[in-house]
Amino acid sequence: MTRTLPDLQRWMHDALLRPEDADPADAAALLTPNPRLTAAQSLAIYQQSYRLRIASCMREQFPALCHALGAGLFNDFVSEYVRDAPPESYTLYDLGRRFADFLEAHRPDRDAPDREVWIDFVVDLARFERSVFVTFDGPGAEDLPTATAQTTDAALRLNPSLSVARYRFPVAQYYLAVRAEAAPQPPHPADSCIAVIRRNYITHMAPLTASQYGFLAAMLRDGAVPADMTPPWTTDAKVRDTWLRAGFFVDGSAQA
Amino acid sequence: MTRQTIADLPRLGLGLGLRNVHFEHILTHWPDVDWFEAISENFMDSGGRPRHVIRQVADRYPVVLHGVSLSIGSTDPLNMDYLARLKALAAEVQPQWVSDHLCWTGVMGLNSHDLLPVPLNADTLDHIVPRIHKVQEVLGRPLILENPSTYVGFRDNAMSEPEFLREMADRTGCGLLLDVNNVYVTCYNAGADTAAYLDAFPWDKVVQMHLAGHTDCGTHIIDTHDQPVRPEVWALYARAWQQTGGVSTLLEWDGNIPSFGDCHTELLKAQSYMGGAGFQEVVAAAHPTAQPGVSNPVSFLVPQVMDSATSLDP
Repeated sequence: MTRTLPDLQRWMHDALLRPEDADPADAAALLTPNPRLTAAQSLAIYQQSYRLRIASCMREQFPALCHALGAGLFNDFVSEYVRDAPPESYTLYDLGRRFADFLEAHRPDRDAPDREVWIDFVVDLARFERSVFVTFDGPGAEDLPTATAQTTDAALRLNPSLSVARYRFPVAQYYLAVRAEAAPQPPHPADSCIAVIRRNYITHMAPLTASQYGFLAAMLRDGAVPADMTPPWTTDAKVRDTWLRAGFFVDGSAQA
Repeated sequence: MTRQTIADLPRLGLGLGLRNVHFEHILTHWPDVDWFEAISENFMDSGGRPRHVIRQVADRYPVVLHGVSLSIGSTDPLNMDYLARLKALAAEVQPQWVSDHLCWTGVMGLNSHDLLPVPLNADTLDHIVPRIHKVQEVLGRPLILENPSTYVGFRDNAMSEPEFLREMADRTGCGLLLDVNNVYVTCYNAGADTAAYLDAFPWDKVVQMHLAGHTDCGTHIIDTHDQPVRPEVWALYARAWQQTGGVSTLLEWDGNIPSFGDCHTELLKAQSYMGGAGFQEVVAAAHPTAQPGVSNPVSFLVPQVMDSATSLDP
């Protein structure tokens, strides 16, 4: 059987993504056997490598989630994920971009009257680990002027690497416990607000109060200290100094 | 200005792949290595430490950019955004050359993150040749393409891989990166003769060679880049060194990566094969190991990404 190059590539790519749907007769018709393997067995090398490689990369990008679920269940979720949302980008950094949304959209209790708490935790942990992962190599402040105590509020700009998020669980603590090989149990629900930031090429995370989270979220939205908000350091002077030392701000005098 | 040709490209000596686990060692000790090869995709989109590191490395060493995502054989359109990013990285680090693989990585806008083989025939050549011309036009330099490890053969194959590479290079002016480990892997998996492969290879097109380790799975061999170079691959290298007159040689190590010193020691073994003494006719034969192998064509920085995050203690 002869196929055009586009047809052949579509067939082979489909066979990698959905090996369960691949017809061994197609492999025999399009590929040559070798002295030790049939055509289908040879194709299976690529099929297996695709599955194992994607799972391995996802485990590296979501180590705490993998711990929480166990490698077997985590790999099963990943298999469903890449079947539903196959990789589109040339870079593996993009691989986990849609994972949290996938988990939320495919939660088994989505039509149930009561949500299961552990699924909320899984989704939150996936969101959190993605934010840590992208902070490593995204835009940062390493080449920008650092804000100091002398920088006016009007000139404060956020470190481009900074992100903030609100979670239903203490996901940062859980993540750090996994990193410390402390084998943590899934936590009980508890709201947490977390900033993730890169400073001198090292990623850090910091807890925030709900009001601090609201302020920084507004700064992210507006690009500067919002005119209609009172900065948290108005009532607690230490906050500004703490955030300055943590690298939250750069000096935007040039564009202020 | 006349565009660079492969005849203009230098011989760099013995180089190592630039890997994240070795960044600290390199930046601290500035080791006595002839050159480094960087995986383009690990740096081209970086706004963080990888980009910071490669700038420093490129200031001190010759650097080559080696890609895994050009997908020159795909029937999808060339990704011009990818090419623009690659060109921008090249402008920044001034590599000696830019390479990728004779392969495709996906179609229909999807990506397998694998280096998939193309049917070796005239139709494929007619498809790939204008794409290489386009890439070379965009980058303003000759493209260097590597023979991939392959695990399947197509019934539509009408020529050998060396024949295909020769005609591809003749028609485009591109150079070749001869991965001698891939020669061994491909020949074993196809039941083909490594000597015949090398006999037919267009040596005058070779700009660079790759060395790497592989994993024997009994019925097949996988290009895992996770262990020392096998003696049978060193034997192929000895011949290739003689045939090319000593082109730039690079050791790849992407899984279970040992210390920089151990990688460098493995690389320097190449010196003992440069006199040709190590060459013997090689019959590709498996020496099975218990562990399953996963091909590892896409060196990736992820493990160190998630290891680096810490709690902030301002």
